[in-house]
Parts: sequence; C-alpha cells; structure tokens
Amino acid sequence: MKSREQEYKEIFIAEALEYFDALNRHISALEKQPQNDQPLAEIFRLLHNLKANAKAIGYLQISDVSHKLETAFSLIRSKELSFSEEVVTVLFDGIDLLGELIRNIDNPEYGEPDPVLLRNLDIIVDNLSDSAIELTKVQKYNTSKNLTLSDLIYIQIKKLDHMLNLVGELIIDRDRINSISRELNHDELKSVSSHLYRITEDLQYSVMDARLVSVGTLFNKFPRIARDVASAEKKEINLELVGQDIQIDRNILQIITDSLVHLVRNSVSHGIEKPDEREKKGKSRIGSIVLAARSDRDNVIITLSDDGKGIDMKQVKRAAVSRQLITEDAAKTLQDSDVLSFLFEPGFSLAKEVTEYSGRGVGLDVVKNAIDSIGGRISIDSAKNKGTVFTLQLPTSIAVKGALLFEVDEIFYAIPLMHTDQVVAMDKDELHEVGDILVTDIKGETITVVYLHELLNADEAEMRLGDKTKLKGQVQNIIVVTYNNRKLGLIVDKLYRQQDIVVKPLSKPLDNLDLYGGVTLLGTGKVCLVLDVSAITRYFINNRR
Amino acid sequence: MKRILIVDDSFYMRTMLKNMLTDAGYEVVGEAPNGQTALELAKETNPDLITLDVILPDNTGLDVLKGIKADQPDMKVIIVSAVGQEVIVNEALEFGALSYIVKPFSEEKVLEVVSQALAE
Amino acid sequence: MKKKSDKSNGGVSEEVVEQREAEQQANGKDSDAAKPYQPEAMVHLIVFKLGEESYGIRIEQVKEVTVTPSVTRMPRTPKFIKGVANIRGDIIAVMDLEQRFGIRPAAMVTTPPGTLTKDISYTLVIEAKDYSIGVVVKEVPQSLNLSVSKIDKAPSFLQDTTISENYIEGIAKVDSRLIIVLDMFKILSAEEIKALPK
Repeated sequence: MKSREQEYKEIFIAEALEYFDALNRHISALEKQPQNDQPLAEIFRLLHNLKANAKAIGYLQISDVSHKLETAFSLIRSKELSFSEEVVTVLFDGIDLLGELIRNIDNPEYGEPDPVLLRNLDIIVDNLSDSAIELTKVQKYNTSKNLTLSDLIYIQIKKLDHMLNLVGELIIDRDRINSISRELNHDELKSVSSHLYRITEDLQYSVMDARLVSVGTLFNKFPRIARDVASAEKKEINLELVGQDIQIDRNILQIITDSLVHLVRNSVSHGIEKPDEREKKGKSRIGSIVLAARSDRDNVIITLSDDGKGIDMKQVKRAAVSRQLITEDAAKTLQDSDVLSFLFEPGFSLAKEVTEYSGRGVGLDVVKNAIDSIGGRISIDSAKNKGTVFTLQLPTSIAVKGALLFEVDEIFYAIPLMHTDQVVAMDKDELHEVGDILVTDIKGETITVVYLHELLNADEAEMRLGDKTKLKGQVQNIIVVTYNNRKLGLIVDKLYRQQDIVVKPLSKPLDNLDLYGGVTLLGTGKVCLVLDVSAITRYFINNRR
Repeated sequence: MKRILIVDDSFYMRTMLKNMLTDAGYEVVGEAPNGQTALELAKETNPDLITLDVILPDNTGLDVLKGIKADQPDMKVIIVSAVGQEVIVNEALEFGALSYIVKPFSEEKVLEVVSQALAE
Repeated sequence: MKKKSDKSNGGVSEEVVEQREAEQQANGKDSDAAKPYQPEAMVHLIVFKLGEESYGIRIEQVKEVTVTPSVTRMPRTPKFIKGVANIRGDIIAVMDLEQRFGIRPAAMVTTPPGTLTKDISYTLVIEAKDYSIGVVVKEVPQSLNLSVSKIDKAPSFLQDTTISENYIEGIAKVDSRLIIVLDMFKILSAEEIKALPK
C-alpha cells in the first residue's frame, strides 16, 4: 500500500505538470492577443490552484513563485502593469521556473532558484510605476526542456500495462480453447468458446481504450516550444494545432515525444526562413507550421508541415556522396523519395551551424528509431521553397497488431501488416538473377527479392542471395515489405493467414537482438518469431555481395 | 451518515477534502470539477452539505451558489477560498453560504466548520 | 506470471520430485535448519551432466526442472542459444551449456534396436533477477544435499577445465563422485551473453 502522503504527492505533481503545460499554452495565447480576457482568467485560476495546492502540501517555493506570478497577472488584469516585452520575458521565465521546481520536487540535488529571476519577479510585482524598472537579463538555464507526460490518468499507467499484458495472455488462451473446441467438435464447448471470444474481444478493446489519451496532451506543449525557438532565432511563426482530440495509446505518445520536439524545433530552425528572406520570396513574413493529427483505421497519422524553404535535394545528394552512401553516378538518377530517405541514415545531418535549439548531432535516425520501435512509419515530402511535410504513421495501440503469419524452414514467423505492402504468388521463372541478387517485376515495378531461408539460415560466408537454385518448388510466395521508402520482396516457404497477434518483447538475454521485434504465441501454443522489418532490410543490404 | 458534495477544480484539493471527510465518517456523494457538474450533482445527489470552491473554470463559485440556492434554497453551502478573496467570500455569505474555509486548511478547521454547518 | 514458490512442483518431472523427496527424507536431520548441535551449513544442489562430467547448481538458483518443451530455433543467434520456448506462457531463451563452454558431448549410448527411447532432454529453468533462462541437460537431473565443507573452494586444477574459473563456485566430492558447482548468476551476467551479436 502506498502511503497517503505518497499518493498526495503523486497527484500534486501530476496536476501541477498539467497546470504548467496549460499555463504555457495560455500565456502564448495571451502574448498574441493581450486584450483577450479568457486566457488571463485561466492563467489566474491555474496559478491560484497551484499556489493553494503547493501551500497545502508544503512546497513553499512553488507557492511563493505562483503567488508572485498571480500578483503580476492580477496587476495586468487591472491594467496597472502593461504586458510589455520585458514583462513578458520575466513572466515566461517565471513560468519556466515553476516547471523546474515541479520537476525537481524529488531531486535532493536541486539547489535554489535563480535569484536574478526572483528579483525580476519582485520588481514587476512591486514597482508599479514601471519607468525605472531595471530588469536583469536572465541567462537561459533551461534550454532543453525535458518534456514528460503525466504518469497519472487517475490510474497509474503501469497498472494499465499490467492489465494489457494479462489481456494478451487471455487472448492466447482463448485462441487455444477455440482451436481445441474445433478439434473436439463439441457443440457446447464451441458455444462457450465463441462467447469467450466475444467477451475477451470486448475486454481487449476496453483496456486499450482506457489507455488512450488525446494527442492534445502532447500537442499543447508545442506553442511554447516553437515560440522559444522562433524568438531565439528572430523568426516569426504561427503554429496551428489540428486534431488535438485524436486518441492514442499513452505509451506511444510518450515514446514519440522527443521525436516530435526534435521535428518541431527543426521546422522552426531549419525550415522557416527569416522574415526578410520570406518577404523577398513573396511569402508572408510569418512562417506557418501545422501540427495535425487524424485517425486512419487502426493508425494515427501525425503530420508536421511548414511553408519554409524545403529540403535541398542537391545538398542531400552531395552529402550522401561525400559520406559514400552512394556513388556520384547513381546519385544523378535517384528519385526524390530515395534522396530523402538518406536523411534517416545514422548521423546524417545537413545543419551547418549548431544552434541552441537544433543541430546538436541528434539526427533524424534517432527519430526514426523511436518510431520504428513502436512499429510506426515516418516519411518526408519536400518541395523547394514550398516547405516540408513529415508524416508519422503510428499504431493507435501498442499490443495487438495485425500481422501476416508465414513459415520458413519449419519455423513460424510474423511480420506486422504495417510494414507489408502486398503479397504475391509468382512463378520461379519470373524471378531473375541480376548480379548477386534476385529481382522481379511486380505490377510494373522492379523489386528486389530475397529468399528468407537463405538470408536467415545459410552460413554467412556462403550465403548466395542471387542463386535461384536455392528455391524450393515452382511457385514462390512473396511478401513485399516497405522500409524507409525501399521495397523488398521476402520469399517465404509457406504463407498463412493474416491474424491479430499480441507481441511479447523478448526477455533477456535476447532483448537486444535487432532481427526480432518480439515473439508471439500462436493458438497452438507454438512460439512465433516476429521479424523486425527494418533490421531484416539492413541485414539484407549488409550481406549482398 | 451525512452526505457531502465537493466542488473544486483541483483534483488534489478534492482528494484531500474527500479523505478528510471520509475519515471523519461523512459520506462524499460526489465530486464536481466545474460549475456545470456542480449544479447537476447538487440536484441529482441532494446532499446534506456542499463545499464550494470560489474559482471554477466555467463559472464563478458565486454563480454556482446562486444556481444551487435558486433550486434548493435550504441547501447548506460552505465556501472554500484562498487568502485574498475576502470580497467574494463576503458576497457569498450574503447569498446564503453558511461559512467559509480558507486554503490551505487544516483538517481540524475543515471538520469544525463542517460539523457546525451541519448542526445548524 | 512469475511463480516464485514454484521450486518443487509444477514443471518438475515426476521422477525428480520423488527423488528429491526421498533425498529429503534420507537427509531429514540435516535439512532441518538450526540444529544447535549441528551448526554445519548444508547446500542443496541440482546435479546434471555436461559431457562426461557432473555439474551442480544451487537449488535457490533453479526455478524448476521440466521436460524440455518444443524449442523454436532463432536464426542468427549464437550456437549456444538453442532458441526460445514457451514455459507456461513465459517465453524464455534456452541455452546449451556444452556449446557455450565448448564441452565435448558425451558419446551416445547405443541403444539396442527395438528399445523405446525417446529423445527426451530436461530443462533447468534458472531464475535471474528480472528474467528466466532455460539450460538443457540430457539426463534426468538429480537432487543432492551436502554440507558446505564438502565443496572445495579453491581447487588447483581449474586451469585445465574448459570453463572459466569465474563461473565455478567450487568442486564437491561426494563419495567417489566429483561435482563441479556452477554459479549460474555469474554465467548469466557474463558480458558475452548480455551483448549478443546483432
């Protein structure tokens, strides 16, 4: 049992972080429309609650800073203090300080808040005649904001994780009972088992549903982040949020948080041009960034689009050639989509200068890895001077995925449907040995294919990926997978049905094997290996010669 | 058992109040995070007492108080406020609130005010 | 779900349970803890064969003993990883210690034609801090109680064995048998297992 103090503390922190996010949202709105009373009233209410709660639990620094901010905002409301640039800066700093204090409640190493900042707050609160204000510029101490989503949706997420795992186990047993009842052909058992099927399905969706949060909980953090980057880089931007109500699994949202922060900063920093430059190009001085979410069947699509300068394909090609990812000749004939996929190569960065907010060596590969890890996809589309669009396709829920089951050398495998493009059956004669690989034509497109048995089981030194004689039988089943805009056909021994599977992570010491995304148990109790499409693709590329 | 409805927009405050009251043997029949819900729950649960926060996201506590009193004139209401809101508190007392508690409150103070109000 | 108290039932094969019970009865006096007149500490080992030699693991490190379930081979993992197996819903890695330490497998016993010998092996499920792992052994593992003093902590001939001495807790001599006592936790935490090739 948790102590009541502990429970109070958790609730306090969770709520305080929510308030902190909301404060940032409202102050950004207020900055745009200082005349609007609505955000001001909200700010007032939030600070008021924060102050009272912090005082009740005994976090006096938080209640003190909240109180000062509350006073400052009440002066603004009563028009005794003007919402001027210096004042705004101090208020933003003050809200940041609140966030810092909240995040460091459990940190014994955390010392005292910046005295300069506290003094600035005192000055604007106490000096009503603002002619003689001398505000000291506060050194920004908190540039990389650590974003954390609340761990509480009134229930701890780990409890929901546990429930979801249990549901996973239950589904496996359910499928097992189903197949046994079919084998025994027992009517009563069959009817019970079909009832069980419906109930577990309901239960599964309820648990998945309980884990959903709206993407707004993350999106709402971005107006402030974008504003900070823009103001540091002297840019003017307008960030529009769309679809904040779209629901997604809380853990998925947590996993993509850093990626999305990275992408938004990049957009402001590298995408949007300086106002004068934009004017010269005949664009509005204010750069537009749209962060949007929408549902697409079992996926959530998040797009981040800007109307900035776009990605320079020539520059990407040059960088790729100089990093020897491709030969100069081959680069000439490359399609744009292939060019853009270089951006996801490890360490590939176009940033010439390291600014405070971006280009700190974190490349898009890190973003891609995070998205891969949850079975999502990311793609880029860009046009010169028109802008760039990042599209993230994310699963709505973590555990249950549609997958394609197949067999290679008597081992069962699955590939998440998210990464499968199409499935074709093809005569062996339609496969051609080209150099060291096999290629075929699928609906007018030339696609590289590989015999999975050879790729997975042949001795690495004697692997012959371009040898047709290795294939068994005349008709070949091919699963075409896409990864990073590249298509690859996987020849499998036997193709089974499509099925919803519960992916279990591999436990130690197998947990860091790239090739496998996890395992799943089939209705028969057999273990089925879930292949990681990105790792298989990489493994293929490294072994072709 | 006396039945109490808690109106406060902070989950933390509601939890604390609820624990204090429940520990003291009262039944908390509902928790409202905003004015709209407060009005609905007041009608639905018809409690013996309502604790009412004065600042709410959609409404002022004062408006909620008027709303409750319009439908249930005999409803016992205690105002929960923070320091610096004396003006609102005085106004609320004029509109029929029985008494008030100032945040941050002690358990003793809450229970004292609640039991006095219920005794009236 | 983890079953912490599952040491002597569940998956343990019948013979093993019987043996263990017999053993415990035989050693009844010894296994009773805290006898004032007999302060000597006892060790309970699960004994099995690798190659031609006998090896032992402390029973505290063994979660259960079971007939090896069907093991799914995992391509592109080291040879000593036999694959993964489903043990009551837990999917665990199964390891072959002979492969791991380069121990020459024992010569196959030739069975007379017509004898019903199934290719049965046993799996010791070892429970580490936050995961379990299976170790395959060919013969039925046995249970053995002996006093700590029977384990020689610093044998001088260890350099000759194929197993790094770090993994060996000591050598036990029981009657004429020699049992190499392994510290499974050290084996499991060894760097080479943790960092499997990618």
